[in-house]
Amino acid sequence: MMDLAASLLSPEFFAAILRVSTPIILVAMGVLISERAGVVNIGAEGMMLSGAFCGVVFSAYTGSATVGLIAAIVAGMVGGLFMSFAVHVLRANLFLSGIALNLAASAGTILALFSLTGEKGISGTLDSEVLPSVHIPWVQDLPVLGTILSGHHILTYVAFLSVPAVAIFMMRTPTGLRMRAVGENPEAAKATGLSVIRLQLQAFLLCGVFAGAGGAFLSMGYVSWFSQNMTAGRGFIALAAEVMGAGGAYGTLAASLLLGSVDVLAIALAGEGLPSELLQAAPYVVTVLALALYGLRQAKQKTIGTVH
Amino acid sequence: MQMTGDETAPQKALVEFREIGKTYPNGTVALRNVSFQVIEGDILAVCGENGAGKSTLMKILAGIEQPTQGTIHYEGRQKRIADPNVAGDMGIGMVHQHFSLIRSLSVAENLALGQEPRRGLLIDRRAAADRVRELAQKFSLDVDPETKVGSLSVAAQQKVEILKALSRNTRLLILDEPSAVLTPQETQELFEQLRSLRARGVTIIFISHKLHEVRALANRITVIRSGEVVEDGVLSEMSDAAISKLVMGVDVTRASRNQRDLSAATPVVVVKKATVATGDSDRRIDAIDLTIRAGEILGIAGVDGSGQEGVVDLLCGNVQPDEGDISLLGRPMALATTLDWRRAGMAHLPGDRFQIGGAPHMSLVDNVMAGSHRDKQFTRGPFLRVDAMVARTNELIKTFNVRCLGPREPLNSLSGGNAQKLVAAREFSSNPKFLIVNQPTRGIDVAAAAMIHGELLRLSQNGTAILLVTSDLDELLQLSDRVAVMFDGRIAVVLENDGLTPERLGPYMLGLEKAS
Repeated sequence: MMDLAASLLSPEFFAAILRVSTPIILVAMGVLISERAGVVNIGAEGMMLSGAFCGVVFSAYTGSATVGLIAAIVAGMVGGLFMSFAVHVLRANLFLSGIALNLAASAGTILALFSLTGEKGISGTLDSEVLPSVHIPWVQDLPVLGTILSGHHILTYVAFLSVPAVAIFMMRTPTGLRMRAVGENPEAAKATGLSVIRLQLQAFLLCGVFAGAGGAFLSMGYVSWFSQNMTAGRGFIALAAEVMGAGGAYGTLAASLLLGSVDVLAIALAGEGLPSELLQAAPYVVTVLALALYGLRQAKQKTIGTVH
Repeated sequence: MQMTGDETAPQKALVEFREIGKTYPNGTVALRNVSFQVIEGDILAVCGENGAGKSTLMKILAGIEQPTQGTIHYEGRQKRIADPNVAGDMGIGMVHQHFSLIRSLSVAENLALGQEPRRGLLIDRRAAADRVRELAQKFSLDVDPETKVGSLSVAAQQKVEILKALSRNTRLLILDEPSAVLTPQETQELFEQLRSLRARGVTIIFISHKLHEVRALANRITVIRSGEVVEDGVLSEMSDAAISKLVMGVDVTRASRNQRDLSAATPVVVVKKATVATGDSDRRIDAIDLTIRAGEILGIAGVDGSGQEGVVDLLCGNVQPDEGDISLLGRPMALATTLDWRRAGMAHLPGDRFQIGGAPHMSLVDNVMAGSHRDKQFTRGPFLRVDAMVARTNELIKTFNVRCLGPREPLNSLSGGNAQKLVAAREFSSNPKFLIVNQPTRGIDVAAAAMIHGELLRLSQNGTAILLVTSDLDELLQLSDRVAVMFDGRIAVVLENDGLTPERLGPYMLGLEKAS
């Protein structure tokens, strides 16, 4: 047990939290934008998975990690385009369209993988690239902080920097303001002359950028291959993080870090001989509990908030 | 300046509608061959029943909807008003009946929305706030730019809405039933503001179906009925009776109440010190005392959200009081459920006929049967007797004169007025001892409203105790024997209705006065 306690307080543990939280933060930022624009994007999981797949395939065939990343982002945006087409043009149900996208991405990536490599499980035969890690000068030489903060994957830094960027985008720019207006009261926004469809399309596309990048992190950094359904519900965990963060970028970051820590903790505990299936379920259990607590708090605030 | 059709004064048309028609994709004809002019500097009242097409016409002018026929000429030139931005650029602003404001945004953000002042990539917040202050000062409409719209009173929100409509060099201001949400005093203030806008050269079109407001404000009137203009002229040349006949197409006799002394009648509902302290804040009530006697119509007045909904919830069994007692004909009801209340003789015509009052996608038969589907006359063993159900529905359709294609049609195929008549038929026909009616004629045409009013008076003459919650003060004063005014979850005063006026109720509605 002493070993465990030591490993939990080690700089490597905190570094692992940053690493594991990265895809959740990225996707949660995308989900936040679409949610505030009034289109809860259940399809984030599918966008992420397509991103992970395209990143591996395009980097393997071009030999360029950058092309892979761009392909991953484009794949996410194509998912966003699909969502917008389904919801705005075909007038399909938002949630069902998201579920359809997820199922299509799950099966579609396996099909494409099989036609390219003959494998159904893993892209091991594809010689794909990974995105670089970044060693921050000065910081990397600091004793404990150096281990925690430096040497991460480039997308980890992008994820953390994207949080204030998204906060400023949503709260301080004209487009962010318009998206929030459209999300809260589309009829009123329309009467003001805003184009609800255009703004929601933009939100879907931005969500695709983030989800695609989150997927690229998984297959081009966290590991260096694509495996079937490798997102493992992270798109949904990001949705939960956004709800727990009450639609704010910083709150969503905090919730993503919490959910990431549980994941890391589960990995650490697996070394202690606890059943790994149980531990793998931990992040999802915590998500459910956190959402339940959040719901309770909301209900309570409603009743105590405004006593005469 | 007198504007009563002075032939020597040059009258310039600001807007001219030429043969405007609007047919919706589902075949509904909203407007047909509408042609008239809006004279610059006028206050024009556009009158008509609900569903007559007034709002559609105004939405076309504001660029929210497109006509399927005809053209609009603005300052003598033909214009296509493709969207609200085009209307804004032309100087046309509209104040919507359901406000087009975003509640979580500040006043400044709401006014800037769509044309935000920028500094680099970001919104220039200071410029946005300065713009609001400048506008507020220019038009003497006092608002704070930093306040969140959701925390403002309804009257203040309307000011913001008007400012928003005026924010783009507006020369034509359209208001869709602006007084519907205001107290009489607030309405007076609004009218003052509109008169001063007119003095500044703003042309005003306002939609209303309240004749006394039209008289107080407008100098011209256009009456629309069933999508067509039936009158367009100078207001002072027309009598009230003539206008009301034009609006409705027929003479509708308004049901009127006889002054009665009910102090000796049996108390049917007695509420003592009932408090509900949980739930939505605008549904909370605080130490309510009420008695409704047999044959009495007790009206509840108040600005929306003052606790009226809480009283309705309490007396139909939706909520149970945290403290206090309720009885119905001597039976304790504090713990009763809605089913208990209904079994004890309560009936309820809810405020929203398509959400609570009825199931919009189900048939008229299903809607009529709701609540009585277990009655012996409609069942045979475990099965429903469809023939008896249809017969019952046809009977109610006939007695309440519900215009519909047949009993099997869905409820939402009916117009608002006819759907309300059907739900009312279901509730009224059970011969209730106690009847709750919540906004019984909101958004329905005058003829259907008159019919429902007549039925309410008939029931009260037969001894039904009626609780009438309405934000239409004319309706309230027309029907009620007594009026309880609510403010902030409490009953501010209970007044006998012996010639009560809206002005008398206003101070209580605003919480300025309380019964001692």
